Amino acid sequence: MTANKYSVLNTRVHNVDGYAKVTGRATYTFDVKLPGMLYGKILRSPHPHARIISIDPTEALKLPGVRAVVTGKDTLGVKQGIWRRYPELCDEQILTIEKVRYIGEPVAAVAAITEEIAEQALDLIDVQYEVLPFVDDPMEAIKKEAPMIHEGVERNVNVTRHIEWGDVEEAFEEAEYVREDWFKLGGQAHMCMETRATVASYTSDKKLTVYTSTQSPYYHQALLAGVLGLRESDIRVIAHYVGGGFGGKFELDASQFCASVLSMKLSKPVKIVFTREEDFIATKRRTPMYYYVRTGVKKDGTFCARETRVFTNGGAYTGMGATALYLTGFFHSFPYKWKAYRYDGYRVYTNSLPSSSMRGFGAPQAMFCSEQQIDWIAADLGLDIIEIRRKNAHTTGYEVPGQATIGSCGLNQCLDRIEQWIKAKGTLPKNRAIGISAAGFMTGGIFNWFDSPYSFSSAVVTINYDGVVELHVGAQDIGQGSNTTLAMICAEALGVKLENIKVHSGDTDHCPADLGAWGSRQTLMAGNATKMAAEDAKKQLLEFASAKFGYNIIYDLDIKDNWVHNVARPERGMNYVDLVKEALRGKDGQRIIGRGHYTPHRKGMISPAYSYMVQAVEAEIDVETGKLSIINCTTAHDCGQPINTLGLIGQLEGAASMAAGYGYLENMPVEDGKVMNPNLVDYKIIRAPDMPECEIIEIDTYEPEGPYGAKEAGEGLTNPTAAALGNAIFHATGLQMKQAPIMSEMIVNAFKEKKKEGGTR
Amino acid sequence: MIHDFTYLRPGNVKEALAMLAQHRDGAKIICGGQSLLIIMRQGLVVTEYLVDIKGLDELNCLIYDSRAGLKIGATTTHRTIEKSRLVKEKYPVLVAMEEKLASIQVRNWGTIGGNLAHADAAGDPAPVLIALNATVTIASSAGGRSVPLEEFYPGLFETVLSPDELVTEVLVPPPPAHTATVYQKFNLLESDQGIVAVAVSLSVSDAGICQDARIVLGNAAPIPIRAKNTEKLLIGNKLNEEIFTKAGETAGEEADPVADIHASEDYRRHLIAVLTRRMTKEAWEQACQV
Repeated sequence: MTANKYSVLNTRVHNVDGYAKVTGRATYTFDVKLPGMLYGKILRSPHPHARIISIDPTEALKLPGVRAVVTGKDTLGVKQGIWRRYPELCDEQILTIEKVRYIGEPVAAVAAITEEIAEQALDLIDVQYEVLPFVDDPMEAIKKEAPMIHEGVERNVNVTRHIEWGDVEEAFEEAEYVREDWFKLGGQAHMCMETRATVASYTSDKKLTVYTSTQSPYYHQALLAGVLGLRESDIRVIAHYVGGGFGGKFELDASQFCASVLSMKLSKPVKIVFTREEDFIATKRRTPMYYYVRTGVKKDGTFCARETRVFTNGGAYTGMGATALYLTGFFHSFPYKWKAYRYDGYRVYTNSLPSSSMRGFGAPQAMFCSEQQIDWIAADLGLDIIEIRRKNAHTTGYEVPGQATIGSCGLNQCLDRIEQWIKAKGTLPKNRAIGISAAGFMTGGIFNWFDSPYSFSSAVVTINYDGVVELHVGAQDIGQGSNTTLAMICAEALGVKLENIKVHSGDTDHCPADLGAWGSRQTLMAGNATKMAAEDAKKQLLEFASAKFGYNIIYDLDIKDNWVHNVARPERGMNYVDLVKEALRGKDGQRIIGRGHYTPHRKGMISPAYSYMVQAVEAEIDVETGKLSIINCTTAHDCGQPINTLGLIGQLEGAASMAAGYGYLENMPVEDGKVMNPNLVDYKIIRAPDMPECEIIEIDTYEPEGPYGAKEAGEGLTNPTAAALGNAIFHATGLQMKQAPIMSEMIVNAFKEKKKEGGTR
Repeated sequence: MIHDFTYLRPGNVKEALAMLAQHRDGAKIICGGQSLLIIMRQGLVVTEYLVDIKGLDELNCLIYDSRAGLKIGATTTHRTIEKSRLVKEKYPVLVAMEEKLASIQVRNWGTIGGNLAHADAAGDPAPVLIALNATVTIASSAGGRSVPLEEFYPGLFETVLSPDELVTEVLVPPPPAHTATVYQKFNLLESDQGIVAVAVSLSVSDAGICQDARIVLGNAAPIPIRAKNTEKLLIGNKLNEEIFTKAGETAGEEADPVADIHASEDYRRHLIAVLTRRMTKEAWEQACQV
């Protein structure tokens, strides 16, 4: 390993908020208790599709302790959505007025002096419904005769997306081998440790304070302003600690909306915490998809053309689904150079819980189909699975036609290292095999459908008299460690020790606006803003130092490890804290303030930078029972310059666990519009004893657009695992599994099917 | 949300039984709470009184006697059984079963009496204990009785207990000579409940013949059931691969499984067949060696 050229970066650092968390002192929304606080509960639809005839709260209001019942009619009735630039995609009222469109949709909310009373009151609200025919599968919902879920939306087609480059027909003509497959991908629950929760407190001066579990305080400030008729700046969103998001907590949720509406009605604080079941049935989920993939290649494995059609189960509302629809089509081309590519995506409304963004944002589904099909093609043509990928791999400087330019790409190194790793493994026991999958992912989205007037990320660095640095960022720490990452970047840029940095985040009153923690954007975007702010402050300090030291102006000054010095003669200098004290005096006592911001420009349509990875999954299959065991999950990973190497491992292993769950466990059946396993007994997620060995091989690259060359690391690794697992099954058994998650029963059935086919031939 | 209840804490078994006799249907017994609290939270159980027997030391014991066998007090935790050297030596199958019962956190709280009385067909201890021919000792303020565990479950989530009765102990007879008992469940997650489970106990005569067989299927019917046709196939025979396979098939046929989101009925029968074949073979090989 080469010596670390950084003082703070590229080291193992424990999270800056670690002490507060492990000692239980961290205040999550669940812990917030305000004087006079009431408790809210939400009445939810038992029907997948029904017209609301009437809602009568009379009996509920008679229950002692009940303070208010609100329905959609007590609200402004605004149809909201996160795609604010596109009014037709703003389709969710949260407290619905005319119709319910999925089981679990909120129809009324109660505030009472205890949670128990609020819950009892729900049973006393009399809702009359006219039950309507429903449809919960996109392939049914798109048919002419299907029930119409949103008025005027023909065939329930909510959004379509088209991506195309090259001459697809001609490229297929050139192909010497063509194959087509259909795949079916399931949903997945975000399963945050902390369920959705809000405490809203409205006061008579028309100010609303909202403590909530969010990935983006700024989004929620703006979204609440829109539905409540308040000015954005009169709403303060506070989220000091958040117990996970995974893509599920940056749209407006019912806890935020209903608690705010109740609080505004009563001028009292109202707390709503979702039960685990509510989090399962009435939030949003990973998007289930049907995938058709037709691929043409040369006999030597050169990729010619791909044509893909996708139908996604949108559920009742749009949410972030339009982005997932685009990104699944985009990443389905990844990480390869297709001469011609065509993608048509259809997001179809159904009467089931809405689908939306979830870690990987459409890419895990895309890779499951693409990467397995590549192995099947390689097998048919007698090609090596590494070689076929190497032949077509993205490289630095490649332009995805009309979409993106790749600023840095370590994919070939990833393939080399995984090839070596597989060779070193040697011969495996029977029924065990290694499957691989390559993938890439974005480092933050460029798209601004939210129509934010603010910079994508901003940071303010304030240096106090004692050298302590207050770093204010709008970036949101949701457990992924962004406060630590940003503190490290700030310390490195300023040249001070990490313990000098105090990070302030999760409070819209005190932190600059930032789009928040989604799409793997914070390390790059908030990182660049932080670096810029720190450098601004540093420049001011060095101006003072330069005047004070009186060196020839040809000398450069710098700060490193709290030592302000002449770069040419590093022993000459002074302590940073002493310099700050003097510098403040020179500024008439003002603190030193540096400002930074970042908004991507001229970086294509999708993202300023892309991570790359190749993962190898070693799995064993019990061919009689169909049981899968993942023995090892090793990833060669290019995230540019690692910032916190400890945090990086946490992110990558966490992604592997979630992705493996998507691969073989996290089945989320919906029957007649109803989620069949809304609890942690019946919904299976990987627990500590089930976690496979994980190994990370870090690939050294430098991303010109990232702070110190860094790119994303938290999300992309959710993409390859299910595909790699499918490939391991293929190489161990010859089975081609076209449905995710791959349940053990499917494997047994596939064996039976194969036997039958073998018998008839 | 858990509905309000009155919490009662008896000082001894006698007091506990008096409370049960007084409140009868209005009372529920709680110890580790690992099963009861879940269904109370789901609103499936609403009770006026909760009688907490956790502190009753009389019920917390593990005693082995070479004639009477193993006595496990009802409030003995799963973790205690799992970590007992005595149990490990005399009934290794119980330790193996406990090691895979839920998580360590659950095993630290959950008790053997509570588990058996909860009567979940997917519970781990019942199939193993039925294979070991265990009996349950039951007390009430009017007296006591003893019931073979095999007869303890009349139906789905039901026991023969009347409202004033309390399980006080489980008695496991001393293992007969040349006998091996093995257990395996099928699940997707380590230590999860079994989608199906099979316990097999085989005894081999000096002549190398299968003398006795007890095969118990878990989560294969509304209650843990003996696979008696399968047992008949084995008894009186020298076992071989062919018989193991036939045993599996027979067990798959005599099971009465349901379909749910975790497995279809067919898949459950298939798994029972595979597991029964594997476990019968394993038990046979072990029994031939002891």
